[in-house]
Amino acid sequence: MLDPLMEQLLVGFVDEADEIYQRLTHDLIELEKGTAARAQVFDGLARGLHTLKGSAATLGLDTLADLAHRMEDVVLPLRGSEAPLPPAMADAILRTLDVWMAHLRATNAKIEPPPLEPSHALLDHVKPVGPPGVALQSPAAPAVSSVQAADEERQLATALQAPPPTAPPAALVTSEADHPRRRTEDRGPDDPPPKAPAGEESGWRVTTRQVVGLLHEVERLREVRLRIEERRREIERALQQLDRLGIQNDTAEARAVLLAARRSLIADGDEAADIVASMEEGLKAISTMPVRTVLEPLRRAVRDLTRQQGKQVKLSVVGAEVSLDRRVLESLRGPLVHLVRNAVDHGLEIPSVRESRGKHGEGALIIRVEQQGNMMFLEVADDGNGLDVQRIRDAALRRGIATEAELAAMGIPQIHQLIFRPGFSTRTEVSDISGRGVGLDVVRNEIQGLQGYVEVQSTPGQGTRFILTLPAELGSSPVLVVRCGEHQLGIPMAAVESSRAAKAVDVRVGRSRMQLQHRDQLLPLQDLGALMGLRQSEAPADGQPILVLASQGKRIALSVDEVVGDKDLVIRPLPVEVRDLPAYQGAATLARGELVLIVRADWVVNQERRAESVTGTRRALVVDDSLTARALHRTALEAGGYSVHTASSGRQALEQLRHATYDVMVCDIGMDEMDGFELTREVRQRSETDPMPIILVSARDSSGDRQHGTEVGADGFLSKKDCVSGRLLSEVSAVIARRKGA
Amino acid sequence: MKPYLLHEPDGSTWERDLLERRAQRVRERPRIADEESVLWVAEFPVGEESYAIPLAMLRAAVPLRMVTPVPLSPPHVIGILRFQGQILSALSLSSILGGRGWREDPTVLLVVDPGFGRLVALDCERIPKPGGYPHALVEEARARSEGAVIELTLPGLRQVHLLDLRRLMDRRNVLESRNA
Repeated sequence: MLDPLMEQLLVGFVDEADEIYQRLTHDLIELEKGTAARAQVFDGLARGLHTLKGSAATLGLDTLADLAHRMEDVVLPLRGSEAPLPPAMADAILRTLDVWMAHLRATNAKIEPPPLEPSHALLDHVKPVGPPGVALQSPAAPAVSSVQAADEERQLATALQAPPPTAPPAALVTSEADHPRRRTEDRGPDDPPPKAPAGEESGWRVTTRQVVGLLHEVERLREVRLRIEERRREIERALQQLDRLGIQNDTAEARAVLLAARRSLIADGDEAADIVASMEEGLKAISTMPVRTVLEPLRRAVRDLTRQQGKQVKLSVVGAEVSLDRRVLESLRGPLVHLVRNAVDHGLEIPSVRESRGKHGEGALIIRVEQQGNMMFLEVADDGNGLDVQRIRDAALRRGIATEAELAAMGIPQIHQLIFRPGFSTRTEVSDISGRGVGLDVVRNEIQGLQGYVEVQSTPGQGTRFILTLPAELGSSPVLVVRCGEHQLGIPMAAVESSRAAKAVDVRVGRSRMQLQHRDQLLPLQDLGALMGLRQSEAPADGQPILVLASQGKRIALSVDEVVGDKDLVIRPLPVEVRDLPAYQGAATLARGELVLIVRADWVVNQERRAESVTGTRRALVVDDSLTARALHRTALEAGGYSVHTASSGRQALEQLRHATYDVMVCDIGMDEMDGFELTREVRQRSETDPMPIILVSARDSSGDRQHGTEVGADGFLSKKDCVSGRLLSEVSAVIARRKGA
Repeated sequence: MKPYLLHEPDGSTWERDLLERRAQRVRERPRIADEESVLWVAEFPVGEESYAIPLAMLRAAVPLRMVTPVPLSPPHVIGILRFQGQILSALSLSSILGGRGWREDPTVLLVVDPGFGRLVALDCERIPKPGGYPHALVEEARARSEGAVIELTLPGLRQVHLLDLRRLMDRRNVLESRNA
């Protein structure tokens, strides 16, 4: 019975021991494979065992300290040997480590721990005799049948899964400099293991819930920042109203107070934005972890399974350094174990079969991780049997998953999908690894639960690939933020090859396309605003920024209005309603709270001919400071076959009219700065825009407005309540016809 | 004094109708008073017409500001916005309903949960008013209706369109209603 202080220390020790256990497992597998950095790995192994022994003894866990000591007895004589660790010896130490960890967890959870005696016996069997290096030639290998192994595994699994008293999974919170454990996650596969864990207790442990809570608080703070901005705008409006009244004695004091409040709000808003950015950065470091942490334990699973089944498999991991949301990675553990076990059990053949098929005796199992913007792609591929379509059909029929008729109507991809159905298994017998019909449906459910999906691709005799696609919300990517009209857009930095200023001499404008002379090459030149459907394509002015983008082997020059700057942004998926738009990778929040859409580079480089496709359609310009009014007019006009561009102010409309012609302009009357009457008057004063029909729209249906509209040159007038789809279109047609007839 | 209407021996049509309506209102009253038989709604105007959504689906009414337009999106999408850490779509209700006219430019976004496990924001001319409709009336109208808009005639012959948000937000329905 441990005293309360020791119990508290025990909780921390379980986590610490778990990390050492993972590291030792990795080291043992490396030594078994005959790693080049044998001495360093061996040192790490010895240190880890020593730490386990010392810490267990400190806590009064003498039986565990003793067992760690026995493991040292087996391992230490091997120091200096150049030979790989014999599999039987690796087996014995790995199994003993499993039992050791299970015993510790059980002690912590106050449940019956597994007995340690069989482990002592196991170690006795493999303990080297004679001088170092000799024992490695012929270790005493205990005969462990697969059934025994399976039984032991089940017992261990039960013990290993004993819940720790502190329920939620813990994340370490500490600086990298003062805490070697975070460095453990960050180091490369070939880097030496970290130094002895001196001072490992200097960090704090916080629960996932606490970290998530803090993330929510940062979001709240960001919203407070937005509200501060709103208040500032309100004060701005009040000041404008006072300005219209002119400076009078009775408002001078109020104006001074408002000016001071505006200054304070600007300063407070900036400070809040800085705090948000810095907290977000810190939390990002805490709440993400390298994918390696969930992939490394799979090496042990693969090793044990292949040993059990007499197979040879080389597990390769590509992209393990990508850092992702800890919560996503925790949820991926189970699916990955399923897929890996599935590949070893069902996919990969035994060496003799592989060789008879002309393959290398050692099967290849590859886990590849790639993050593209806000999506993570995780691929588990093997070069084994591939999916056996006939066996899948038979199994589906036998297990009542599909009828003969349904199967007859299915193509190969649909038949492949049957393996994700609940209860599906091609095995007629239940083994420890498979045959229960529980597995791939669990994988699919887990992945769907993470808003992702699973795909399977298979070629008979050549292998199978499972591709998991997941949103990676907390992963961050470098993005170049640019401005196009009133819109800010992000372009992944990975696709930005270079940027330059436009020179008229380098730009070639043809009838339907533009090109840019860039470093002795002619590149297609596109206007981002036109690509996004915001305006008609226009040649860049001298000095206007041009980006050279490269993606999928294609290069394109892209003119933008302004380069705002590069930022490291967390790209998040768009809501369902706009997720299918091929132009976007996602959206990110800037420090001030505004959302920026991230454009897909591959979409941009493939849009060379898009501008041409819209020529020939009738064009309308909608001018309204209300987003929702613009949407409504656009709905009606697009339904009538118009290509619609929008402007949110009179000035912006005039700017667009400088570069493009429209068949009609639909304009709101009540806009700030320049109202619809003033805009109409300006348009009529310009010879190039004078012939364009104009319809004024007002929330008020007053004869005064109608009269005024006619005086300034409007062709038609509609109240907003009259702007039902058919009415707007008929009015548009009428004013166009009147202008043509005039 | 006897009630005026009882003095009309032949009973003209409008009088009978009035009587019937009063009787109907009296019949309805206890049901409205009973909370369990009332569907609580948020009622708001779209142009000249009244629309309502079940109050249970309304998460918030926020000012229509800080919406980021999404170029190339379908016309009924006003843009995207941040709401309590999530990114939501802001949709034009009038556009989804097939292009109704409006009286005032919408200044409010209703954040609603149509029951798909995600939130959506719908524009609105004014902050909605809470109210209660008799469940029986709603169910009767729902049984007659096949679309996402359930037409209700409330006591007093007031017409209200109750929105079935789940159906309305179904992408296919959105497209169909816009093309209608």
